[in-house]
Amino acid sequence: MQTPARSRPVRHDRMALAMTLAFAGLAPATSSPAADSVATSGESVYKAKCVSCHGASGEGSKEYDRPLVGDKSPKQLARYIERTMPEDDPGTCVGEDAKLVAGYLHDAFYSKAARARINPPRVELARLTVRQYRNAVADVIGSFHDWGKFDGSVQGLRGQYYKSRRMRDGERVIDRVDPVLNFNFGLGGPDGSPDKFDPKEFSASWDGSVLAPETGEYEFTVRTENSIKFYLNGANQPFIDAWVKSGTETEFRGSMFLLAGQAYPLRLEYSKSKQGVNDSKEKKEKRPLEKGSIALEWKLPHRPNEVIPARYLSPKATTEKFAPSTPFPPDDRSVGYERGSSVSKEWDQATTEGALEVADYVAGHLKELAGAPAEGAERAIKVREFGLKFAERAFRRPLSATDKNKYVYRQFARGGDAETAVKRVILLVLKSPRFLYREVETLDGYDVAARLSFGLWDAPPDSALLEAAAKGWLNQPGVVLEHAWRMVDDPRSKAKLGEFFHQWLRVEHVPDLAKDHSLYPGFDPLVASDLRTSLDLFLDDVLWGEKPDYRRLFLEDSVYLNGRLAAVYGADLPADAPFTRVKIDANERAGLLTHPYLLANFAYTATSSPIHRGVFIARSVLGRALRPPPIAVSPLAPDLHAGLSTRERVTLQTSPNSCVSCHGMINPLGFGLEKFDAIGRFRSEEKGKSVDATGSYDPPSGDLVPYEGARQLAETLARSEEAHTAFVEQLFHNTIHQPIRAFGPDLSPMLRRSFAAHDFNVRSLLVEIVAASATPKSRRDPDAAFPSRPFAQER
Amino acid sequence: MTRPTNRRDFLRDLGIGSAALPFFLNLPSLGFANQGGRKKRLVIMFSPNGVVPSNFWPDQVGREFALKESLKPLEPFKDRMLTLHGVCDKVKGDGDNHMRGIGCLLTGVELLPGNVQGGSDTPAGWANGRSIDQEIRVRNQAVEATKTRFGSLEFGVMVPDHADTWTRMVYSGPNKPIAPIDDPYQMFAKLYGRTKDRESLKSVLDDIQDDLKVLGARVSSADRQLIDEHATFVREMEQELKSADGSLGHAVPELEKGVKDQNDNMPKVSRMQIDLMVNSFVADFARVATLQYTNSVGGARMRWIGVDEGHHELSHHPDSDEKSKEKLTKINKWFCEQLAYLAKRLAETPEPGGPGSLLDNTTIVWTNELGKGNSHTLDNIPFVMVGNGLDFQMGQALKFPKVSHNRLLLSLAHGMGHELERFGNPNFCAEGPLTGLS
Repeated sequence: MQTPARSRPVRHDRMALAMTLAFAGLAPATSSPAADSVATSGESVYKAKCVSCHGASGEGSKEYDRPLVGDKSPKQLARYIERTMPEDDPGTCVGEDAKLVAGYLHDAFYSKAARARINPPRVELARLTVRQYRNAVADVIGSFHDWGKFDGSVQGLRGQYYKSRRMRDGERVIDRVDPVLNFNFGLGGPDGSPDKFDPKEFSASWDGSVLAPETGEYEFTVRTENSIKFYLNGANQPFIDAWVKSGTETEFRGSMFLLAGQAYPLRLEYSKSKQGVNDSKEKKEKRPLEKGSIALEWKLPHRPNEVIPARYLSPKATTEKFAPSTPFPPDDRSVGYERGSSVSKEWDQATTEGALEVADYVAGHLKELAGAPAEGAERAIKVREFGLKFAERAFRRPLSATDKNKYVYRQFARGGDAETAVKRVILLVLKSPRFLYREVETLDGYDVAARLSFGLWDAPPDSALLEAAAKGWLNQPGVVLEHAWRMVDDPRSKAKLGEFFHQWLRVEHVPDLAKDHSLYPGFDPLVASDLRTSLDLFLDDVLWGEKPDYRRLFLEDSVYLNGRLAAVYGADLPADAPFTRVKIDANERAGLLTHPYLLANFAYTATSSPIHRGVFIARSVLGRALRPPPIAVSPLAPDLHAGLSTRERVTLQTSPNSCVSCHGMINPLGFGLEKFDAIGRFRSEEKGKSVDATGSYDPPSGDLVPYEGARQLAETLARSEEAHTAFVEQLFHNTIHQPIRAFGPDLSPMLRRSFAAHDFNVRSLLVEIVAASATPKSRRDPDAAFPSRPFAQER
Repeated sequence: MTRPTNRRDFLRDLGIGSAALPFFLNLPSLGFANQGGRKKRLVIMFSPNGVVPSNFWPDQVGREFALKESLKPLEPFKDRMLTLHGVCDKVKGDGDNHMRGIGCLLTGVELLPGNVQGGSDTPAGWANGRSIDQEIRVRNQAVEATKTRFGSLEFGVMVPDHADTWTRMVYSGPNKPIAPIDDPYQMFAKLYGRTKDRESLKSVLDDIQDDLKVLGARVSSADRQLIDEHATFVREMEQELKSADGSLGHAVPELEKGVKDQNDNMPKVSRMQIDLMVNSFVADFARVATLQYTNSVGGARMRWIGVDEGHHELSHHPDSDEKSKEKLTKINKWFCEQLAYLAKRLAETPEPGGPGSLLDNTTIVWTNELGKGNSHTLDNIPFVMVGNGLDFQMGQALKFPKVSHNRLLLSLAHGMGHELERFGNPNFCAEGPLTGLS
């Protein structure tokens, strides 16, 4: 990255040259007097020494087919050229020559800005991503219910306990909220009160809702020696029916695909009684007393089983949700974020399957969704009204008279019963590009609404947004911003931001975190899962607490531990302690960089990995593009170099010239975390030698910044403008799914300035990103930072 | 009883996990890959509460026999039917006789201990094994020549809406009862839902292409490539839909509308289910089917034949109660009429792609959880067969010396080409399939 102040004076001339080059193709630059004075010498050096391998515009050649593009600054390029270029005769392009040629190629075609100028990025037509598709169909159907949001003000489920096998009010003994469902009644009754309960015959029910923190397949397990019926997202049919106890089974499982940020109603019925013919009294007395217990567990994608934690449970029931389960091919992520930039036959077929799944669901729920009576003339009328609303909500804008005719009336006029007609409507609407594609860049009020809601939620606009669009309010940046602030507190924004952080921290990439058992005997799958929970709690705390300051991610001096983690990481907590915030030694650790999940994730099974850690910092934190290593390399085996520390081994392995271009930057970033082993425990020694955790950060401009240890590294990164820009751009890309430069060359620096001006408030940044993407360029003031939320409403 | 089948059931019915996503348009080829050889079929029909033996079993043995009142409706099929007296359900263990009667009937194995308490004996849970129809289904589905879209179909008529040992006869494995579908509309959706969906989809494709054109005209030429590509897939789907036309082998049947799941509609529902079953054989959707009337201890009130009392209640009345015997005989005769209707429909329907009728290739087995209602005996379970699917020597009244019913289950499997050596509890299988059937 270059600082605008430095490059501005020369930029115009260079741009003029670049434009000329671009238009003239490979023809030599005409002798423009303005260009001659500044850039010709850089260009002439390039022509003399570089062009034979790298090509006239850095496109490469037969000998060297990689385009000459990247994110080194002119300063870093010059240093690299001095040391390694030309490849056949290094050391012959140094000093002023190196600087000139670096400056020339950087601005002509190498840098992001140059590339954006030559080949301007544009907002591309995109279909809904898979995530957006699922949320869209779920929300469109959900809009016909009373929209039940998760109410987390009380955590747990409503537990009602009955003194017989009949769950009737008159038989109820206890009515309370149970934070988690994990009870061992032993041979007695609930709460060990045999006077209130007959331990041979009692029952209980738990009601409420469960919040899905991520999108994916959830496996639920009910453990009991007794009888249960488990209703999840629907009261008609049990999701798990083990009311007949049979044999010795005590684990009952079922899987359901759930969407992030959605709450699903649940009810669990439990009975420790016989069913069928009631026992006579004497028969019951003869019957041996059996044990009673109940636990409700889940398994999130890539996580071990756990009792569902209280924070995902609410005693308030929500309405049934439509939970689409049609498998889709994954979206393209080749540019670092998911986007709907391509279609395939497989995808097209999935949209058909998906539409059929919705059609089946609707046809089976016409009473609840359309208020349609089971029979009579009223039925068709109600169902047709439903069809109109469905099309309108799926298309995210009102229907014209022609639209109504095409998508609804004609489908009903074609005959058949109401179910068949409404299925035709749904197939047509959900297969239409008007549903499947995102707004094309004309940005009327409804497009703005869609930009906002897909940006923040990956979901279609809610009724408040549609109303604002209908009233024409969304052409005012202030109103757009207000809506963005309103929407950012929704669980769906939390889910989306959470997914961004998982992506940023590369959490999804490593579903299991197995370590060498002989070296780290305490590190089992439960510990690994606890670490993941600890990380999520930390992120939640920073992002959704009082002060969502990006710098806290690096500088916080606390970590969430429970009893199990405390035992492994050496904190003083009781063995069964729940997760609590624990102060850490601020000299040793600092924020995310030293979070044991990340340290363990970026490590081998037995040893730390400064390269993985350095690559993480380079790619995610600093946003640097790294090429894969030129040759496939397997790490040097530690036992072959028994005398070497990890740092020494890595240095040895990456010493060849071909490695230096990247490892010269990667290693000095990763070495700063060498005081943490493969599971992220602090160590001051390795193999009896004290650990060297010194390193350096090479900023795009200015001098090399040396540091020692994690805390100094974290402070350096928290201050780095390069890191701020990287964060802004990555959050933008993961949120908007379009290149930030398609929104003009000024947006990225403007957002970064605003980010800094607002104490690096991540929520505020998210709001500004989404608002900016939803505002046409003509309405955007390029010089002003975005107006922030009025202070009165700041949370 | 289960609610309408969802997409997961649909995929499971295809025998394909969600990993290998089947596109529904490809279904016909899946159902019609194997139309060369003879298609043997087995139908098991269940009615509850035993019979009145004196009005049921023929007095004679062998080819010359007279049908008693309960079996009179089978007169037209006398030369292609069998009665099998002396087949006994010898499986013991937990559960009362009604529970074991239905739970062990097709599984030949004990019930697991559990919490369902009957009127006597110990409580029990589900059967500890797979039922013979499912055993044959699994075998059929594993072999290309016998593989069909569903493998088996489980029909019900007036089955109570709760899952317990008395309401389940079919098991895919230990502790895995399968609920029969007793709603003809639900069965219709399972069989023909996708065919209708294909028609619906076809009818909206032109509009979808129009929308793509409109969008294509609004976007840049670079973006238009995406739209063009998308339009190609829609055109391809249109072609696939066209080629899927007519693959069913018969027109999609029209069901009478609005027939409710009520006691008095039992005759209507019975016919609808039988018609759907015959159609599904024409389309080769399955080669194994079960048809379960009510449940073990079922209490249908057959007012349409002048019986107001519940079936189970009547079945407890003593032998001396002639009125009740007469009513029970009427009830069993009504069930027998359903059997005869099914046989008639099968006999009238030509075998697609082969000689003869469906009945030439189908054997129906009619059975019951008890031998006799008021004694609750599991001896002399009423087994009656109609049809020639299993190549048994038909047209006989047979008597066996109190043989275990596991041997009959083995005979059914052998008849379907699945030569099992034992099924269910092996202690009852030592002598192999019944002798004298084929």
